[in-house]
Amino acid sequence: MSGRQPVRQEEGRQAQAQPRKKKRPRRFYDYSLLFTIIFVTVFGLIMIYSASSYMAQLRYDDAGYFMKRQAMIAAGGFVGMILVSKIDYHFYAKFAVVSYILSYILMIAVSLVGREVNGKKRWLGIGPLSFQPTEFVKIALILTLAVVITNMGKRVNDIKNMGIIVAMSVPLAGLVAANNLSSGLIICGIVFVMLFVATDKKLIFASCMGIAGFFYCFAGQIGHFLETIGLLHSYQLERINVWLNPEAYAQEGGFQVLQGLYAIGSGGLLGKGLGESIQKMGFVPEAQNDMIFSIICEELGLFGAVSVIFIFLFMIYRFMLIANNAPDLFGALLVVGVMGHIAIQVILNIAVVTNTIPNTGITLPFISYGGTSVLFLMLEMGIVLSVSNQIKLEK
Amino acid sequence: MNENRTHHRGRITAAMLILTLAAAVLAGRLCYLMIVRSEHYSQMAEELHQRERTIKAARGQILDRNGTVIATNRTVCTISVVHNQIEDQEKVIQVLSKELGISEETVRKKVETYSSREIIKTNVDKELGDKIRDMRMAGVKVDEDYKRYYPYDSLASKVLGFTGGDNQGIIGLEVEYEECLKGINGKILTMADAAGVEIENAAEDRIEPIAGNDLQISLDVNIQKYAEQAAYQVMEKKGAKGVSVIIMNPQNGEILAMVNAPEFDLNHPFVLPEGQENAGEKEKQDLLNQIWRNSCINDTYEPGSTFKIITAAAGLEEGVVKLEDHFSCPGFRIVEDRKIRCHKVGGHGSETFLQGMMNSCNPVLIDVGQRLGVDRYYKYFEQFGLKGKTGVDIPGEASTIMHKKENMKAVELATVSFGQSFQITPLQLITTVSSIINGGTRVTPHFGIQWTSADGETVHKYDYPEGERILSEETSATMRYILEQVVAEGSGKNAKLEGYRIGGKTATSEKLPRSLKKYISSFIGFAPADNPQVIALITINEPEGVYYGGTIAAPVIADIFKNILPYLGIPETEEETVSAIRIYG
Repeated sequence: MSGRQPVRQEEGRQAQAQPRKKKRPRRFYDYSLLFTIIFVTVFGLIMIYSASSYMAQLRYDDAGYFMKRQAMIAAGGFVGMILVSKIDYHFYAKFAVVSYILSYILMIAVSLVGREVNGKKRWLGIGPLSFQPTEFVKIALILTLAVVITNMGKRVNDIKNMGIIVAMSVPLAGLVAANNLSSGLIICGIVFVMLFVATDKKLIFASCMGIAGFFYCFAGQIGHFLETIGLLHSYQLERINVWLNPEAYAQEGGFQVLQGLYAIGSGGLLGKGLGESIQKMGFVPEAQNDMIFSIICEELGLFGAVSVIFIFLFMIYRFMLIANNAPDLFGALLVVGVMGHIAIQVILNIAVVTNTIPNTGITLPFISYGGTSVLFLMLEMGIVLSVSNQIKLEK
Repeated sequence: MNENRTHHRGRITAAMLILTLAAAVLAGRLCYLMIVRSEHYSQMAEELHQRERTIKAARGQILDRNGTVIATNRTVCTISVVHNQIEDQEKVIQVLSKELGISEETVRKKVETYSSREIIKTNVDKELGDKIRDMRMAGVKVDEDYKRYYPYDSLASKVLGFTGGDNQGIIGLEVEYEECLKGINGKILTMADAAGVEIENAAEDRIEPIAGNDLQISLDVNIQKYAEQAAYQVMEKKGAKGVSVIIMNPQNGEILAMVNAPEFDLNHPFVLPEGQENAGEKEKQDLLNQIWRNSCINDTYEPGSTFKIITAAAGLEEGVVKLEDHFSCPGFRIVEDRKIRCHKVGGHGSETFLQGMMNSCNPVLIDVGQRLGVDRYYKYFEQFGLKGKTGVDIPGEASTIMHKKENMKAVELATVSFGQSFQITPLQLITTVSSIINGGTRVTPHFGIQWTSADGETVHKYDYPEGERILSEETSATMRYILEQVVAEGSGKNAKLEGYRIGGKTATSEKLPRSLKKYISSFIGFAPADNPQVIALITINEPEGVYYGGTIAAPVIADIFKNILPYLGIPETEEETVSAIRIYG
C-alpha cells in the first residue's frame, strides 16, 4: 500500500481540514464527492417539489408535501452519512454475517407481514415508520460480498469459489426479485460488477454481456417464440410489445410509457423552464417517483438532462478514484459495489424513462422521491467516504 | 499483492468505462428523443393537454317584414362554484341559497363537493347573475349564455318554432333556416391537466364565434296578431277544436300570417296542457307533437266546395263550359249507380254555370267534371301543381292524398269535382287558388325573404323564381269575376265588405268518418277582386252548432279584411265600379 498518488487537487483543502492532527498521518477525505452528493440531493429536492407540487396541492393541500418529507429524511441520512464516514470501514466487516442473515429475515418478513401500498407488498413497518427492506439488502450484500471476496484472496479466481459467491447471492436476489423485480436485477448487477473487478476472468463476463445483448436486440422475436411454445404469458409478451411500439399498444399500457416520452420530447433542447412542466399535472403518474427524469427533461431540456447524467458520471468517477486508491481490497470492493449500485440504477432508470428497455420500476438515486432509498444511499455514501478517509496522504 | 491491486485498478477502470459508455448511449438516445422526435412528441402532448371550451355563437334574430324582432336571444347566466377557490364558505352557501331560491342543504352539498366546477343553477336571469357577480365572492363563477327568447310568446308559434337546449331549431322556421341562423361557435383552447382542470395562466388560443344571420320573413306581426285574435274569437264562439288562418300575397306567395289556434307559448314549449302534466314519457311526447303541429301545412283535409274553384278553372280553360251554360239541379245527380246529393235538398233548379258556382251547386260541378273526363281532369290536377308539395319553407309539409289515375272512375271523378274523396293541405289549396286568380302563374308560398349577416354587411335575398303558367290570363280573370260574384250575391255574401271588392268561396267539409257528423267549415277570400293583393283562407275544425262555411267562416275573413286592407294600403273602390265589371266570355 505504498505510494499511489491521491488526487492532487484535494491536498490543499485536506491540509486545512485537519491541520491540528500532526501526529497521525494526514488522511484524505473526498470533499468533491461530498459536495456532489449534497448538490444532487438538493437538486433532487427541487425537482421533487417541481414534479409533485401540483398533485400534492390537489391531494394533500400542501404543495411541498413530498419535498418536505424527502428533505427531512435526506437531512437525517446526511447526518448518518457523516457519522458512518468517520468510522474506519473495517469496523463494518464485523456486521457482514449479521446483515446477510438479517437480509433473509427481512425479505421473508416483508413477504409475510409486509405493508401493502398501491397493491405492492414492499414495506415493513413499525408504527408510523416503514421502510423497504430491499434497499437494506443491497447495502448488506455489498458488505457481505466484499468481506467474502477479501477473505478468499486470489482463490476467488477459481470457478468453484466464484460459484460460491454466486450461490450466496442468487437466493437473496431471487427473494428480492420475487418482491420487486427491478431491485432483484440491480442486485444481480452489483454482484456482476463486484465479481468482474475481483476476478481475472474475461470470457465469462464477456459472454454474459453478449447473451444479454442478444436478448436485448431480439426481444420481440424471442418473446413471440416463447409465447407460441407457451413459456411466456400473453401479458408478458404485451409488455415487450408495449416497449417496442408504445404508440400502437397505447391501450395495453403503452399510454404510461408514452406520457414519459411526451414529457421528454416536449422538453426539446432547452426545456420549458423549471416548474413549467405540464406532464406532471397528472399525466405522468407519480411524477416525483420513477419518472422524475422525464420531468427533468421536460423542464430543463436536453442540456439539463445531459447535465444530470454528467453529475452522476462525475460521482462514478470519484468512486473509481477512491476504489483505485483504497488502502486495501476490502475497501476497494466496498466502493466498487456502491459504484455498481448507483451506476446501474441510474442507467436502468434513464433507460426505462426513455423507453430503451421495457418498463420496470426503478428510482433515480438521490433524485426520485423515496425515504428508504435516500436513507440507505446516504449510508452507502458514508461507507464510500469512510474508505476515502482511510487513504493516507504522502508528505 | 501489488500485482493484484494493479489488476484490480485496471478492472475498476474498465467497469467505470463500460458504465460510462452505457450512460453515453443513453445520452445519445436522449438527443434522439429530444431533438429528432421533439416535434412529434410535443405535438402529441399538446393535443393531449388542450381543452376546447365552446363559446356559443349568438343565434340570428328573426324579423317580420317590417323589421319587428319576433325571435331573439336573451342573455342568461349559469352560476357555478369552484370548491378550491371558495374563501368564505358559509357566506357563499347563504347568499346563493337566498338569491337563487335553492335550499341551503342542496347548495351546501354542491359547495362542499370536491370537483373542478359544480353548477348551482342554469338559466338565471342576467339581472340576478350580475347581482351575484357584483358581490365578488371568491369561488363563485357567473357565466353568460344565450337563450332563445320570443318577445310575442305564442305569436305564430307553429310557424316560428323554437330551439332546444343546444340552441338548435326543433320545429318550424327555426329548423328550416338552422344553417342561416345558428352561426359558428367560437372556441377557447386552453391547457388542462390530466383531470381536465384548466391550468391558469397557460396561453390560450381564442377563436371568436360568428353570430348567426338575421332572418327577415314575410310575416307581418300586426296582421298575424289580428288574424290570431279573430281565430281565437271564432274558435271560442263555435267551440271549435282549432282554427287556422293563412293570409298570403297571391302575386308572389309571401305569407303574411299563418295562424294555427290554439297556439302555444314559444318560451315554454314543453309545458303540457292542464290536467295532463303527469303523462308518461311517450304520451308526453305525443301530446307535445300534437300541440306543435302546424295544421296548415302538416295536415290534410277534404277541401270541399272551395275546391270547386279548381274544377271550374279547369272546365273554363279547357272550354267545356261557359259562364252562361245552363244546368239543372234536381237536388242530386246520379253517377253510375250512385246518387250524389246537392247540399240543397230541393235542388237549385235551372241555373247557369255562374249561378251554379254562386250557389255552390254540386250537380253543376259534377257535370263539368264529367265533361272534362278523368284524363283531362287529372291533367289539370297535375298542371295546377296539386299532386306535388307547395315547396313552402317550413319542414314537414304533408303530401296530397289523391286517387290513382287508373283507379279514378266516374264516381270518384264526380266527388273530386266538388272537393271530396281526396285530401290536400290548406296551404296547397290557398296556393293553387292564388295561382288561379293571380293571372295564372304558380306561386311558391314562403316566409323567408332575406338574411343579413350580424355585422349588417352581407345581405342575401331568397329568390323565388316566377312559377310556370298553369292557366291563361283570360280564364284567371273569369275566375276572379265568378268568385267576386260568389261573395257579392252568392253563398259567400257574408264576406262582403263595404268599399272593397272581395272574391271568395265557402266550403263545409264533412270529416271522415261521415257518420260522426263532424265538419270543417272554411272560406277562402281575396281582395281586391280585380287585382288580388291579399288572399286568406280560414278553416274551422269541428265547430259546434251551425257549421256552414258561408255562415261562420266567411264573416271572419270579412272582419280580418276590414282591418288589414287599409293597413296594407289597399284603397277602397268607388261603389259604381262594382257594377262596371267586364264580363268575360
